[in-house]
Amino acid sequence: MRRFGWLVLLLAAGACTENVTAPGVCPTFCPSGSISIHDTIFAAIIGRDSSFSGYLQGYQSTLMAAADSPGVIDSRPFFTSQTMIRRIKRAVDTTTVPISVDSLRLRLIIAQRSKEATNLRLKLFTLPVTVDSTSDFASLDPYFTAPPVDSVSVSGLLATPGSTDTALTQFWRGAQGICPACIDSVRVDSAGNVLLMQADSSLLVYLKLDTLQAPLSEPDSGRLAFGIRVAADSFASVRLATEQSSVGGGAQLNWYFHFADSVGTKPDSVSHSKQTVTTRFDSFVFNPPSPAIDSNLTVGGVPSVRSLLRVALPAFLHDSIDLVRATLILVPVSPVPGVPSDSFAIEGRNVTTDLGAKSPLGSTFNTTFVHIGSADTVRLELTNLVRAWTLDTTQVTSLFLRQLPEAASYTQARFYSSRAPAFRPSLHVTYVKRFAFGAP
Amino acid sequence: MKTAVGRLGGWAVRVGVLVAVFLAAQPPNRLTAQDSQFGIKGLGTPGRWESVRARSTGGAFAPFDAFSPLTDASLADARRMSASIAGGTSWRTLEPTGAAQASLRATRFPALVIAGPVTPRIVVGGGFATYLDRTFGVSIQDTINLRGVQEPITDEITSDGAVSDLRLGAAARLHRRLALGFGFHLLTGSSRVIATRSFADSTNYRTSTARDEVAYSGTGGSASLLLDVTRDVRLAGWLRTDSRLRADIGGRQVAENNLPRTYGAGLQWRAGTQAAFAGTVMWRNWRGASPADSNSHDTFNWSVGAELGSLGTPIRFGVRGGQLPFGVGKTPSEVGYSAGLGRQFSGGRGRLDIGLERLERKGTGLTERVWTFLVGLTVRP
Repeated sequence: MRRFGWLVLLLAAGACTENVTAPGVCPTFCPSGSISIHDTIFAAIIGRDSSFSGYLQGYQSTLMAAADSPGVIDSRPFFTSQTMIRRIKRAVDTTTVPISVDSLRLRLIIAQRSKEATNLRLKLFTLPVTVDSTSDFASLDPYFTAPPVDSVSVSGLLATPGSTDTALTQFWRGAQGICPACIDSVRVDSAGNVLLMQADSSLLVYLKLDTLQAPLSEPDSGRLAFGIRVAADSFASVRLATEQSSVGGGAQLNWYFHFADSVGTKPDSVSHSKQTVTTRFDSFVFNPPSPAIDSNLTVGGVPSVRSLLRVALPAFLHDSIDLVRATLILVPVSPVPGVPSDSFAIEGRNVTTDLGAKSPLGSTFNTTFVHIGSADTVRLELTNLVRAWTLDTTQVTSLFLRQLPEAASYTQARFYSSRAPAFRPSLHVTYVKRFAFGAP
Repeated sequence: MKTAVGRLGGWAVRVGVLVAVFLAAQPPNRLTAQDSQFGIKGLGTPGRWESVRARSTGGAFAPFDAFSPLTDASLADARRMSASIAGGTSWRTLEPTGAAQASLRATRFPALVIAGPVTPRIVVGGGFATYLDRTFGVSIQDTINLRGVQEPITDEITSDGAVSDLRLGAAARLHRRLALGFGFHLLTGSSRVIATRSFADSTNYRTSTARDEVAYSGTGGSASLLLDVTRDVRLAGWLRTDSRLRADIGGRQVAENNLPRTYGAGLQWRAGTQAAFAGTVMWRNWRGASPADSNSHDTFNWSVGAELGSLGTPIRFGVRGGQLPFGVGKTPSEVGYSAGLGRQFSGGRGRLDIGLERLERKGTGLTERVWTFLVGLTVRP
């Protein structure tokens, strides 16, 4: 009887599960109402749009562009290092002894590159340590046109079969190695330059320098300054990580040196050591410079330019509808000049209050990509943002367009503004009208 | 204490009373009797005002059964305070013409009746039943042109609820052969409705969901009589009329529909102490309810059934037929076969009824087949 009782309970539980939805055979066996969708381009609801410049300078960016496309663009990153020790304390007493540099390794992180670039090379030029934010393309040009102190073929390193030598891989990628998080093999060329790859496809390039190429200068407190140019048979464009991307994310110099020491029973022996110094200042210069902003909507360049768009949302979009897609349509004035393989992201982000150029940025955003040389209309999906506007009438219906990351590249897009009626920005909205519940 | 418990008739009676009190205090939203695709296009699927006992006989015993909410005069037979509740689980198969078959399942509590005498001649009763079932769900797949691209979409429109019939009735035995009954009906209830459109391209298009709650209201009145023509033959007649059914969303009226007048008659013959036979006919003018709607139809329904065996353990069976009020084209028809058992316990203070019903509904473009398992509990504390 007890077993029978459990069976009854089991059957009862099973019976309580419901399934009342069937494929609709319409219109005969469907509700008389239907879900009605509408698609409209609002051509004149974006107005009072302006561009503002000067948000970020090149030295504040997380990336710096190196590009060389003759007649189009020449972009050159540069950096100075922190000071380097010239003397070191001995282990046996408090006296210091001078160090003798054996060699250096310069680490650069190539964050972005064209996968289609062939014979991609980086060239290293010596610059005066006095370079700073006032340095421009013209003032640095003589140093960049001098013979390079070193160069490395990135394509050559990528084509090199990775080393499986345990001693080598332990040094570079082992648990205590230089880059334990790096993936793939350790690639080394005949000059001793090393290439490692990280999980995000960024490349770590270690250039081996000697003391002639990078002398330890007492008057400069051991500081060094280098400029970098990129060269390739095609698509010569890379972006290097800067110190602003993360602490130690910029160029890094590893100094390998020795000094006279007395250790235990070995008086006057020689000790070897190394010292890592990070970037003190980094930036990039390019030619031609970013043109001045005009009546069009400008996004990108250095100093960075943002465009503020104000949207007069129709009242009916605030109620009785459910917005399913919203797309901002921007018509470019001309294709963005640059290296053809390049592209960059444009972000549309809401503002919490409309104070013009100084409007604080909100937390809702969407991005799209603009390809160099393309005259195609740019479509930026703004569904989340416009949905928030339709649901909350107190929100400010303005948004900023900006490049991501800002001030990281010479690239600058220009779109027609509301001053050009035929090509002005528009909002393409797809929405579902409220379902007529209640009727049979 | 033991004596008191025994007087109440054991655990089954106590549980039954608790369930009855709970359900009477707040009728469950899922009060529906039987879903049907034929009700989607109209006001809904009419409920069955029958206890499990009556339903096992095809509905033929409903006008003579005090625990079927069909007539008020039958309350006169409730000589003690009693309560009865019915529940059922349905397995429904849809066979639309030219489309895929679908199987659905639902569990419902179609009726509750509580009745008891206030004087030797007057019995008062009440409870709830389903007036119109509004539970359904349809899923529609289609492809639409959006921004110049063919976009596959899926619409799902669901409604979960019913129009419930809360009844307060009284029956008076005016003569040993004649009983009259009158009832006041409050139509209430709601349905939760959801319309969802989802897109195959979920990256660019967000799913749209609209949801609301439709509240229904209305009133009605009913009158009925039971006439014992002879000691073994009993006649029943009833009529019912209701006000317009109002549908509100958020306190705002969105629809108002006429409801049908109902007329019916029944005959019961007791062939000895261990056999009873009954038959009923019923008309409802649904077309008058929505004259402008060509999809609504007047209905005529009939049923024939029998109850055999002792009062403590009867066997029941019956057959019913008729029409459904809503459907495109010709009036949908319905044929049903049912059978069931009853078992008294606790010295007649409780009765458990079980039944099985097979229905086949046919209309333009659809055949619907339903198996329903029914359980009913009646207690006399």
